[in-house]
Amino acid sequence: MQPPVLELVDLKKNIKNKEIIRGINLTLGPAEILGFLGPNGAGKTTTIRMIVGLIRPTAGSVKICGYSIADDFIRAMSNVGCIIESPEMYKFLSGMENLRQLSNMDKRITRQRVDEVVELVGLQKRIEDKVSTYSLGMRQRLGIAQALLCRPKLLILDEPVNGLDPAGITEFRNLIRRLAHEEEMAIFVSSHLLSEAQLMCDQVAIIRQGSIVKTATVKDILNTETVEWRLDNPVKAARLLKEKWGIEALRENGNTITAAVGENRLELINQVFVNEGIELRYSIPRQNTLEDMFLDLTEGDEIA
Amino acid sequence: MLRLIENEVFKIIFKKRLLIVFGILLVLITAFAYGQDNSLNRTKARLAGRIGITASTDWKKLCEQQIIDLKNRLESPYGHEEDKPATRVRIEQLQYYLENNINPLDSSAAKFTTQFMEQSIFLFLPLLIIILAGDIVSGEAANGTIKLILTRNIPRWKVLLSKLAALLMLEIIVLLMAAVISAAVSGVFFGYGGWTAPVATGFRVIGDRLETLGVVNVPQWQYALMVYGLAYFVSIVVGTVSFMISVLVKSTSASIGVMMSALIGGNFLSHFMSDWKITRYLFMVNLRLTDYLAGSFQPVAGINMAFSVTVLSVWAVAALAISFVYFMRQDILV
Repeated sequence: MQPPVLELVDLKKNIKNKEIIRGINLTLGPAEILGFLGPNGAGKTTTIRMIVGLIRPTAGSVKICGYSIADDFIRAMSNVGCIIESPEMYKFLSGMENLRQLSNMDKRITRQRVDEVVELVGLQKRIEDKVSTYSLGMRQRLGIAQALLCRPKLLILDEPVNGLDPAGITEFRNLIRRLAHEEEMAIFVSSHLLSEAQLMCDQVAIIRQGSIVKTATVKDILNTETVEWRLDNPVKAARLLKEKWGIEALRENGNTITAAVGENRLELINQVFVNEGIELRYSIPRQNTLEDMFLDLTEGDEIA
Repeated sequence: MLRLIENEVFKIIFKKRLLIVFGILLVLITAFAYGQDNSLNRTKARLAGRIGITASTDWKKLCEQQIIDLKNRLESPYGHEEDKPATRVRIEQLQYYLENNINPLDSSAAKFTTQFMEQSIFLFLPLLIIILAGDIVSGEAANGTIKLILTRNIPRWKVLLSKLAALLMLEIIVLLMAAVISAAVSGVFFGYGGWTAPVATGFRVIGDRLETLGVVNVPQWQYALMVYGLAYFVSIVVGTVSFMISVLVKSTSASIGVMMSALIGGNFLSHFMSDWKITRYLFMVNLRLTDYLAGSFQPVAGINMAFSVTVLSVWAVAALAISFVYFMRQDILV
C-alpha cells in the first residue's frame, strides 16, 4: 500500500519552554483537500513550518510520501510545493527571473514547465516585469506558480487567497480543485476565511491552542441540522429529546430551545411533542455552516 | 551546485551591490590620486626650494635631505616619545633606498595601484567587502525569501555554501576593480609605466631597529601581486566574519552596523590600547598585512606576519564553523 502523502505523528513544538504545538496527528491522502483552520495564534503557521522543515519539531515526526522530513529532507521535499505566509519573492527581479532562480535549484524543472505554470496562473503578460511592480494578487499568483513548478504531490498553501479579488478567489478555487482531481495532488490549505474553506475543501481540521480539536468532512458539517422550536413547555420538550433520542437540547431565551438532530427525524419529534401535549408554535430547521462549528469550538479564545 | 552559485551571483549583481562598490572605488581613487599628485609636488617643491635642485635631476639629494629632517625631528625635545621608533625605522628605510639606488619619491600608476591597496587593506577594503557580504544571508531573512530557498529539495548546507562561494568570487572581482580603476585613474596623473621598477621588500622590524639582511628587490608588478594577494586573504577573512554576522542577525542594517563598528573600533584599539595584550587577538588589529612587506613600524609591539596570518585564519575558520552550525540548526521564524 502506498504511504499517505502527508502524515503527522504526535507533532510537538516548544518555544522557550512554552508548548506551542501539543501533539498533532493528521494524515492526508492523494487528491484530498484539507482546510487547516484556527484562530490567530493557534499554531497553524508553526505546524506548517514544521511540515516543510523550516522549524525542527520538539517531538513527533513529519512524513511526506513516506519519507521523514528530519532524516530524508531531500526526498521528502522533492514532493512538496509551498507558500509560507505571504509569498515572498525577490522584488528586484522579474517574475520570470524569480522562477528561473527556483528552477535552477531543481534539475527536474524544465524551461517548458516554467512557461506552463506561468500560463496556468495567468501571468503571461506581466511575467517579465519586476516583482516590485506587482499587486498583491499578482504576487499571490506568482507564489502559486513557484509552488507548482516541481509538480508536487503535496501542495501547502498558507492563507493563499489573501489579496485576491472575488474573481481571483473563484479562479483560484477552481484551480485548486482541478489540481486535486486531475493531478491527484494532496492539498493542505490554511485559511481564516471559513466560507472560502467550506467551498474549497473536502475536509477540515480545526486547531486551537496547539491541538486539533476537530476533524470532519465538509459534507458532514453541512448535513448536521440544528432545529429551533418555540413551544409552551421547553423543560418538558428538552426532557423528551433526551429520553427518547439522547439529544442534548440547548435552552435559549424564554420558550425557545435548539438541538442538533439527525436527518429526517424532525417530523417524528414534532409528532411526539404534540402527542405529549406540548403546544408547538413553530419549528425551523437550520443548516449548519463551518462558521457555526468553528465559533462553537474556538469560543472564548484569546490569542495566546 | 554551480547553478546555485550562479543564482547567488545573479542576485548580488541585480541588487546593484557591485555597482555601488564600483562607484565608491571610482570616486575615492580619483580623489586619492589627485591628492597624492598634489602632495608629492608640494614635497618636491619644498625640498627643492630649500636645497636648490629639482627632484627629477637628483632624487638622492632629496632623499638625504629627508633623512636629515627626520633625524632633526628625532632629536627635537618637543617630539612625542612614542613616535620615535617609527621615525627611526623610516630613516633606516630611506637609507636603504639610497644605498641601493631606488628612488622612493618616484611615482607611477604601478606604484599608486600598490599603495592604494596598502592604504585600503585595513579599513576601506573591509568596508567594501561588508557592503557585499552584509546582507547575503540576513537580506534573505529580512525579506522572507529565505523560506523560499530553504523549502526546496536542497540541503541547507548547500544553500549556505553556494552563498559563501559566490561571496569569495565577488571579492576577487572587487579587488580586480580596485586594481584596474587605480591603474587607469592614476596613470592620468603619473603616467602608465613603472611596472618593472624595483621595489625593496623583506624588511623586518625588530624592536625599533630595521633589519635589512633579508631584503630583496622585486619588480613592482610582482610586489603589486603580493599586495593584492594579501588583500584577497584579508577579504576572505573579513568576508567570512561578515558572513557569520549575516547568518546570526536577521536584518541587513544590523549586520552591516555590527561589522562596521567592529572594524572601526578595532582600528581605535590598535592605536590607543596597544599595550593591552588581548587586542592583538582581534582580527581587526591584524589586517595590515602589507605593512610587513614594506617594513613599516607596527603600532602593536611583538606581532609579525606569521602571527597575524594565524590569528586571521583562526577567525575565518571559527566564523565558518559557527555560520554553518547555526544555519543548519536554526528555526526559521521570519
